[in-house]
Amino acid sequence: MPLSVLLDNLPYLLLGPFPHGPLGGAALTVVLALSSAILSAFLGLIGGIALALTRGWAHVVLLATIGFFRAIPVLMLIFWTFFLLPMLLHINVPGLATVVCALALIGGAYLSHAVHAGVIAVGTGQSQAALSLGLTRGQALRYVVLPQAVRIMAPSFVNQWVSLVKDTSLAYIVGVPELSFLANQVNSRLMVYPVQIFLLVALIYLILCTALDWCAMRLLSRHAYRSTTDKTRPDLPIAPAIETI
Amino acid sequence: MVQVNGWLAPKYLLWLWHGFGITLGLAATVALSATALGLVLAMMRRARWSWLRWLAASYVLVFRNSPLLVQLLFWYFGVATLLPETAMTWLNAAHTLSIGPVTLGWPSFEFVAGWFGLTCYSTAFIGEEFRAGLRGVPGGQYHAAAALGLGPFTAMRYVILPQALRIALPPLFGQYMNIVKNSSLTMAIGLAELSYASRQVDTETFKTFQAFGAATVLYIATIALIEVALAVFQHRGARMSHRS
Repeated sequence: MPLSVLLDNLPYLLLGPFPHGPLGGAALTVVLALSSAILSAFLGLIGGIALALTRGWAHVVLLATIGFFRAIPVLMLIFWTFFLLPMLLHINVPGLATVVCALALIGGAYLSHAVHAGVIAVGTGQSQAALSLGLTRGQALRYVVLPQAVRIMAPSFVNQWVSLVKDTSLAYIVGVPELSFLANQVNSRLMVYPVQIFLLVALIYLILCTALDWCAMRLLSRHAYRSTTDKTRPDLPIAPAIETI
Repeated sequence: MVQVNGWLAPKYLLWLWHGFGITLGLAATVALSATALGLVLAMMRRARWSWLRWLAASYVLVFRNSPLLVQLLFWYFGVATLLPETAMTWLNAAHTLSIGPVTLGWPSFEFVAGWFGLTCYSTAFIGEEFRAGLRGVPGGQYHAAAALGLGPFTAMRYVILPQALRIALPPLFGQYMNIVKNSSLTMAIGLAELSYASRQVDTETFKTFQAFGAATVLYIATIALIEVALAVFQHRGARMSHRS
C-alpha cells in the first residue's frame, strides 16, 4: 500500500534522523536556504553599492567578476567551492558550508545588479539633494537612496530567494542530507515507488516555494499600500489594461 | 592529492570534449522544443476558455516552483515504472534514422529523460517570457489589424507575434543561457555531459584545477557566445526595421 509507505517515510523526509541524529530533510533545506538567502542579500547589497560607486577599471573588474558568477552553472561552482575551500583554508570544511558559499555567491551576483538598478531608479536628484543638505556620500546612500531603492528591488529579492530554495537541492551532489538526498535514499531503499516519492518531494518543495512567494508578495503589497496612503501627492494613473483577442 | 602542475593527457581532453558535445546537443534540442511549446503555453494563457487558461497557469506554477533536480529524478526513475514494458525496451534499444547521407542514432535513455525533463522545466519559463512579450504589444495594434480586415490568426501571425518576439528576445536568450547551465544537472541521472566528464577526469587524474577549469571555461564561452548571438540578432533586427 503506497500511501502508508509514504506516511511512514514522511517524518524522515521532513526532519531526517533528527531527534536521534543530525538535522536533515526538508528542515535542512530550509536552513540551507535561509543562510544562503541572508548571505546573498548581504553580498548583493555590497556588490550593488560598489557598482553604483565605482568608475573606470575598478567598475570593469567588478562587472567581470559578477558576470563570471552569473555565467557559471551552480553545480560547477559547488564543485569549485567543495574542492577549493578546504585547500585554501587548510581545514575540513563541511559540505553544507561549501554549498551555502556557492549559493550565496551566485545569488549575490544576481542581486548586485538588482540593487544597482534600484539605486539608479531612485535617481541622481535624490542623492544630490541629500548631498546639498550636508550629508556625506555614505550617509546619503544609507539614509536617503537605499531606503527608497529597497522598495524597488524587493520583488527581485523574492524571486532570487525562491530560486535559492530550489537550488538547495543541488547539495545532493556533494552528499548533504537535505530533502532531495533523502528522497533518493528512500527511493533506493524501497525501489518500487519512485513516482509517489518524487511527487511527494516535489509537492514539499512546491509548498515551500509558493508559500515564500505568496507571503513575501503579500507583505510587500501591504507595505506598498501603506506607503502610498501616506503620500500627499496623487497617485500616478494606472496603466490601462491591455486587451486580449 | 590535488596536482596543480601539468596539463591533462589527450585522452582526458577527449572525454571533456565529448561531454561538451553532449551538453551542446542537449541544450540545442531543449531550446528548440521548449521554444515551440513555450509559444503554445503563452497562447493557452490567453485562450478564450477559462479552463485552458487555468491549466496553463497551474502548469507554470508547478514546474517553476519545484526544483529541476527532483523533476529529472522523477522522469528518470519514475517514468521507467509507469511506462509499459514494450515502450521501455523500445526507448532503450538502438534505433537509427537515415536522412540521405546523415544517419541519426537514437540517444541513451538518460539523454531522452534529461531532454524531456529540461524541456518541461524550460517551457514554463519561456512561456512566461513570450507572455510578457505579447502583453507588451499595445492594444491598438489588435484593432488596427482587425480594421485592415485581418482575422485573429493572421493578425497574430503577421502583426502581433513579430512585435512580441522583438520584445521577448533578450529574456528569451537569457533563458537559453539558463538551459545551457541547467543541462549540468543531468549528471545526476548519469548523462555523461560536461560536468559529469569533468568530475570523472578529476577522480581519475586528481588534476582538479585543470578538469574543473576546462569545463568552466567551456561553459562561460558558450554563455558568451549566446550573448554575442543576441547582440547580432538585435543589431540585424534594428537595421531591418530601420530600412522598411
